[in-house]
Amino acid sequence: MELLIFFIFGGVAVLAAFLMIISWNPVAAVLNMILVMFCLAGLFVLLNAHFIAAIQILVYAGAIMVLFMFIIMLLNLRGNEPIWKSRDKNVLLSFLGFLLAVGAFIKLFSTLKASGLNQGTQIGEDFGTTALVGKILFTDYLLPFEIASILLLVAIIGAVMLAKTKID
Amino acid sequence: MIVNRNITMTWWERIYLPEIFRGISVTSNHFFRNLIGFIPALLNKDKKRKIFTLYYPDEKVEFPPAYRGRPVLVVDENGTERCVACGLCEIVCPAKCIEIQPDETELEKERYPKSFSINMARCIFCGFCEEVCPKEAIVMSDECEIADLDRNKMFYKKDQLLISKNKLQKRLNYIKEIYGKWNY
Amino acid sequence: MEDFLITTAKVLFIFGLNMGVFAPLLTWVERKQSALMQDRIGANRADILGFSMIGLFHPIADAIKMLAKEDFIPEGANKIMHTLSPIICVVPALLTFAVIPFGGEYVIGGKHIKLVIADLDVGLIFIFAISSLATYGTVIAGWSSNNNWSLLGSLRASAQMISYEVAMGFTLVGVFMVYGSLQLTQIGAAQESFFRWGIFLQPLGFFMFLACAIAENKRAPFDVAEGESEIIAGYFLEYSGLKFGMFYMAEFLEIVTISAMVTTLFFGAWHIPFISSALILSMLSFLNETLANIILMLIHISVFWVKVIFFIWFQMTIRWTLPRFRYDQIMKLGWKILLPLSLANILVTGIVILILQ
Repeated sequence: MELLIFFIFGGVAVLAAFLMIISWNPVAAVLNMILVMFCLAGLFVLLNAHFIAAIQILVYAGAIMVLFMFIIMLLNLRGNEPIWKSRDKNVLLSFLGFLLAVGAFIKLFSTLKASGLNQGTQIGEDFGTTALVGKILFTDYLLPFEIASILLLVAIIGAVMLAKTKID
Repeated sequence: MIVNRNITMTWWERIYLPEIFRGISVTSNHFFRNLIGFIPALLNKDKKRKIFTLYYPDEKVEFPPAYRGRPVLVVDENGTERCVACGLCEIVCPAKCIEIQPDETELEKERYPKSFSINMARCIFCGFCEEVCPKEAIVMSDECEIADLDRNKMFYKKDQLLISKNKLQKRLNYIKEIYGKWNY
Repeated sequence: MEDFLITTAKVLFIFGLNMGVFAPLLTWVERKQSALMQDRIGANRADILGFSMIGLFHPIADAIKMLAKEDFIPEGANKIMHTLSPIICVVPALLTFAVIPFGGEYVIGGKHIKLVIADLDVGLIFIFAISSLATYGTVIAGWSSNNNWSLLGSLRASAQMISYEVAMGFTLVGVFMVYGSLQLTQIGAAQESFFRWGIFLQPLGFFMFLACAIAENKRAPFDVAEGESEIIAGYFLEYSGLKFGMFYMAEFLEIVTISAMVTTLFFGAWHIPFISSALILSMLSFLNETLANIILMLIHISVFWVKVIFFIWFQMTIRWTLPRFRYDQIMKLGWKILLPLSLANILVTGIVILILQ
């Protein structure tokens, strides 16, 4: 049963990701990306990490992708516009993307080979709960957490400054 | 349009919440008063609701005597119309919707309209005919449901216009009072 | 198998109550209540064999009308997304009810039954996550209609919803700081005594949450996204028939959801003030345990729904009382008032909790 659900979520995620890349319509691409986020959240639930799953939907699907959509709608991009079409002619970008993908796959396979499949690890009873995630976040990973928050603060201040100079 | 946006609000108004509650209390006050007012009307059909709105075709508003509905001809106690077919209303009518054919009669008044028709599609309900009439024979009734899909039916013939004096008593009293002021 | 049956019963109860009772009835309630508030009579013309039943047949007449209408898709519209968006609007409104408890925990036939469909550990975050998806319904609806007014409406809707989502999230942080849990059943159970109700512990949180929730639902006074007088109907301008009805259904279901959330978080969930469930059980001690528990369960369920109905009434009253905000006022309220206030609320709550420890 669990395996079946895993394959459904995984399959839909891969399919949606593929559709996202090939679709000419930017809004359709965004919607496909939301579907990918959903499937990832489903996979997180299968891994007993409810908190991460909920956050995944809340932050990525619920907030960030809405902003993407907002901007796409503001720009009102249509699939047949010349600027939009020029992306497949950019050889350098395609090459770089290809390199990146190959690198990612090599890393993925090497990690899988090193760890070995079918080796289940024991997890605690409270794995994935909000309390445990919070505890880990504020003890073991306090420094990365703080760094990330400072990064976000910098981004916010930067955005405000950029907006301000435009008005004046 | 120039809108004055420099309205200074007091500190109390600027918190916003108390004013919201004031508004809600007003509306919910109306709500509950009407809700409770409905209960006797639901149980007993004769009871009056406290709401001003009426179920229009079922219930009708009683118009005040000053209301000018469609013009009608007054029928006296003896069963004949008061009109003597003098033609004053025909002349004064700004929409020219009245048409009279006079004839002679053995009665005391000597003349009567053989036919009297008002084109209600043209009538503007100004009430000049009523005002000019020396006999108080044509008055504005309180009838206003005169719409029709056929234009020909808007020609009101004499028999449609005749209405007995008792039904128009309120209006007759009213015009006597109001035109009497100006010493006609 | 038994668990499956129980869960199915719960799902059917919630689904039936929402789709069968609240969604159609609220269309009637909204008309009738607005009429009463404005000294009118309201809908009363639809009748069956001469019985108009104070207009209760209007939802049926509406449903028949919507079924019989032409399902219109404008030229140049994206057909798939145009069809998809009403569904995306309705589904989140229904899904959020999965984690809202409509009763406590009862022992029936030696079995512990919790009156919640999915007792998730991350209940509140689940609600946020799902309700944030409702934005897509409006955004896609406006975009796919290929109409300027629709697009304008959906832009307004998305900007407004993003802004208020942030503030809404922060207002509820105070609540789960006080109760120490994200699980809605635990939050509900923690409000057993009257003075532990959320409204006393988080009074500011309640008002801010209600404001944000109404803004999320895009109802007056935050209904610039629909704004009949300026952009006709906003994002669902190009919809007709049942698809149009689904947008309304989503709106009404969201009212119910907001009321249920307010009840659960701030107004003692299924508890009756000053009467604890232990007291009721002791009063019913002459019955056997299962029967007493069933009676208690029914009392709690009805108490919960009575509270929900009260808040539905309250939201309707707000909707028919306040005039529409201007767009800049909405943004100002969201970013400059509600957000800092909610952050201050978190800070104060944290300090108070630290002092009390």
